[in-house]
Amino acid sequence: MRAGRDHRLIRLATVFLAAGFLAAAPADSPVDVPEPAGLHEGVQQGYTPKTLSGAVVVDIAGLDALMAKAPVLIDVALADRKPANFPADRPWLPAHRSVPGAVWMPNAGAAPLAAEREALFLKRVAALTGGDKGKPIVTFCHPDCWGSWNAGKRLVQQGYTAVHWFPDGIEGWQDKHDTAVIRQDAEWAADPAAGERSSAR
Amino acid sequence: MKPALSLILSLGLSVAILAGPAVRGPVLAAGASDTDAERTARWQEIAKSVFGDRKIQPTDTLIQIDAPNRAMDAALVPITLTMPEKDKIKAVHFVIDDNPSPYAAHFTFGPAGDPSELKLRVRVNNYTNVHAVAETKDGGLYEAVKFVKASGGCSAPMGMSDEEAMKGMGDMRMKFSGEAQAGKPIEATLMIRHPNFSGMQMNQVTRDYTPARYINKLVVTAGDKVVFTMDGDISIASNPVINFGLVPEPGKPIKVAASDSQGGSWEHSFNAPSPSN
Repeated sequence: MRAGRDHRLIRLATVFLAAGFLAAAPADSPVDVPEPAGLHEGVQQGYTPKTLSGAVVVDIAGLDALMAKAPVLIDVALADRKPANFPADRPWLPAHRSVPGAVWMPNAGAAPLAAEREALFLKRVAALTGGDKGKPIVTFCHPDCWGSWNAGKRLVQQGYTAVHWFPDGIEGWQDKHDTAVIRQDAEWAADPAAGERSSAR
Repeated sequence: MKPALSLILSLGLSVAILAGPAVRGPVLAAGASDTDAERTARWQEIAKSVFGDRKIQPTDTLIQIDAPNRAMDAALVPITLTMPEKDKIKAVHFVIDDNPSPYAAHFTFGPAGDPSELKLRVRVNNYTNVHAVAETKDGGLYEAVKFVKASGGCSAPMGMSDEEAMKGMGDMRMKFSGEAQAGKPIEATLMIRHPNFSGMQMNQVTRDYTPARYINKLVVTAGDKVVFTMDGDISIASNPVINFGLVPEPGKPIKVAASDSQGGSWEHSFNAPSPSN
């Protein structure tokens, strides 16, 4: 349902110059969602704003163009959650497909996020950017997912100056390119509080 | 993970990382073969867990898969399996490679079954290969594969409360088509009201996950003879609809017995069309 609708809704992005940076409207949202002042702490799944102040919104063409600069790709999509009563004798083999080369920190866009998790996210981004706050970063998850918006917002708040938000996410990527199976970022996964979607609550 | 598999995966990934930024265009083409290798490795891993060391051969004739290249609704992807040499077929296994629970359904045909065509609707989590494996009466396994573009099907909420989704759970209807002639197969469509909760669907308001509850066993009989049995999974779409062929026993009912993973069980009986004189 969701994928089909998104694909129908995705139009050629309207590109315009605003406040000195290039912004692209990713998808026609049936409602105009205003940017919250801070992080979005409500339901994570739903229509998102067309903008993220302090960051550049990119569609797939924008992301393709950005790839030449070798951005840090941050995937915050949730991990598949194994049903509690899933039978032991059936194969459970989750495989997370994403943009090749992305660093996967599931649920890093949750808000609120436990202080130590937020600190670990920022520490990982600092390491991945080599401490260069001007290095291009792309945050993404799925369409209609606030997680990547929040992750981008967190980085803007920390003074990163080349944050890009890719709202079409993994679906937007796989519509044009191949995906790769990636594993969780090792440090993010090593934290006992990390893991599946339920830990966000 | 086996060393060979992880080597393939890490090679594929590092090639993509190293070459990606520098020469983007060509990499996408090169990336295709990396992805193919990765998808093949994935299928081998699943096949091993389902079939053990049994050899699976490719086939163009024993089984074919028809599915939309791009599905309108990832939670409701129609699949048609065609097995023209139906008398050779004992069972069919359907696998959705990239679903976290890939083994979607296993049908075993009985003496009243007609395996020439089987339709069902499934959930697809990601752009993925789907495999259908036909098992012949002499014990051979034959595979067909198709790439399907759909995503988000396993976790897509039903758009209603759980209570509403469970209303009338276990109700069934059956439609028949084709002319009834003694000893000849007819086509039947079985519709079962059941949410088939995947356990991966989140209530957007409470942020709780609806526990998995899905039809895990289905037995269809015509008179005293089995048409088919199905072992189901969370990857089967809500309100399952299954199209199949059967040879009715004149004057005897078609019976369906369904049970789910939470201990629910339901039985319904339908009158098969009688041969007209």
